Amino acid sequence: MQRGLNPFLTFLFASLIVLFTGGPVILSLVGSVVPDRILLDSSKALFSEGLNFETYRYVFTGQLPDSYLAESANRAMISDAARQVPQSLFNSSVIAFSSMVLNLLIGAPAAYVFARYVFPGKKLTFMFLILSPLVPAVALVTPVYIMLQTLGLVGTQAGIILVHTAKALPFTVLILSVFFRKMPAEIFEAAVLDHCSRFQTFWRIALPLALPSIGATGLFAFMLSYSEYMFSMVLSGDAATRPVSVVMAALARNTDVSWSLLNTAIFIAIVPTLVLVIFVWRFVVEGLLSGAVKG
Amino acid sequence: MWTIKRFPALWLLPALLPVALMTIYPVAHAFWTSLHSVMLLFPGEPFVGLDNYKRVVSSNYFQDTLRNSLVFTFLAAPLVVIIGTLIALFLQRRFFGSQVVRSIVLLPWVLPGAISAVLWIWVFHPSFGVLNGLLRDLNLIDSSIPWLTSPRLALISVVVAHVWTQIPFAVVLIMAALSGINSETLEAAAIDCRSAFKRFRYIIFPEIRAMIVVLVVYNALTAFTTYDLVYAMTGGGPGTATTLLSFQIWRESFSMYDFGSGSAVAFIVVAISAVLIVAITRALPSDLFAEE
Repeated sequence: MQRGLNPFLTFLFASLIVLFTGGPVILSLVGSVVPDRILLDSSKALFSEGLNFETYRYVFTGQLPDSYLAESANRAMISDAARQVPQSLFNSSVIAFSSMVLNLLIGAPAAYVFARYVFPGKKLTFMFLILSPLVPAVALVTPVYIMLQTLGLVGTQAGIILVHTAKALPFTVLILSVFFRKMPAEIFEAAVLDHCSRFQTFWRIALPLALPSIGATGLFAFMLSYSEYMFSMVLSGDAATRPVSVVMAALARNTDVSWSLLNTAIFIAIVPTLVLVIFVWRFVVEGLLSGAVKG
Repeated sequence: MWTIKRFPALWLLPALLPVALMTIYPVAHAFWTSLHSVMLLFPGEPFVGLDNYKRVVSSNYFQDTLRNSLVFTFLAAPLVVIIGTLIALFLQRRFFGSQVVRSIVLLPWVLPGAISAVLWIWVFHPSFGVLNGLLRDLNLIDSSIPWLTSPRLALISVVVAHVWTQIPFAVVLIMAALSGINSETLEAAAIDCRSAFKRFRYIIFPEIRAMIVVLVVYNALTAFTTYDLVYAMTGGGPGTATTLLSFQIWRESFSMYDFGSGSAVAFIVVAISAVLIVAITRALPSDLFAEE
């Protein structure tokens, strides 16, 4: 480990990082508990009326906030889409988790042989994988839709999972093969001397050593699927199967919706994902910093 | 590196098949479309050769949007990787609160794109924006700065927002790559080399070089082909100041219903991204694409 940095500089850098990456999200947290009329009125202090959780109550119970029941209030500021957020979070978790598991399950063996072996057809297949994500997704929406329709997968979660898995796989394989390649060759030579088969070497030696890196790659696959919008929108069916990116986009594009309701929806959507991501990331960082791969 | 005589189908096909399924037919279909006149309002899809490409290249938007896309990519991709690497190097240290900072860095990741756009509009909004409010409170400015309505500032603002969305991924991968470095190498380096910059340049950088190349390629590709965040923030304006080339794929296809021209733009984007990727891998050689 490097020598410690001056504590003041450390604090300065840490604050800058927190301000840049967390700043906009903190804004949304503030926005979710402060009613619009105070938020947009610069003469009033931000918390002059205390915290307001009515919009949270609306999302979970459907009870309208009092300010919108007042006479002449703009009813368009309330959107049903906000009430779909909890269900859509569940849908997104199912889709993103399946896509992540599939990616690791079929991506890791491929990355391993690409990183450690020479075989006929290696260059061709590797180039195919690397070049496949070049075509922008917008141009492929129509043919993918037609294809999934003939397979009967439109409006199902399986269709979205399939598309997301295929979208993340080239990068999963590329990233994992970087990790497998960085492992010291001696470990693998020792395995061969001990008469380990190719699968045993992979399963018993390479995988456990790469576990933190696999966690990081899994996070990537999970988040790619979780935040993907275009295919999710085209391929998802009714409200019961819609993933969170589609519901949130519907809310964000509706310019009538009140800021506090939108921010409430944002916050409810963030928290469970954040908890999950931090949980995995903790494990990854712990593994990484304890130096899983020693030469 | 060992040799296998036969193609290791059992190891590779599970990964290759879904990618092939989602690539070969859709790409072929899109390419076919780009060579035909496919319009919703006119039945029949006659072969028109390269007419769609010619029309796109000679259209009045092409030069502006191509320039915007290139500027956007050349600013965004290096910034993501540089800032990501700096944050990763910093977060490797343990300090009071380091666990919290490591978690907060991931925040931009858990927000869907449409939401990031809304949050950044709120930061940059000329009258209600937090940034202007902050600068005004600190007495740094007298009048509001038109972040999203002046052409040059708008492009910079959308680059900032895009970089923000891509930082967590870069940090995660660079931290993972950093941890793969042999700890004895680092200890020896700490003794031999007192300058932190030299230590990075000669010892750490070569070790994480392959990952940096992957990240630059991935980010150049993302920056050159996405448009949704930018479009949601500025609608492509003011004028055409933030209209990206990739946005024209969507506009030609789903707004003008000229699918032929839309696909033609897509393949122009493909050709340019391919050139970018080759240029990046040439400029930053790594053993990643080596054949040994």
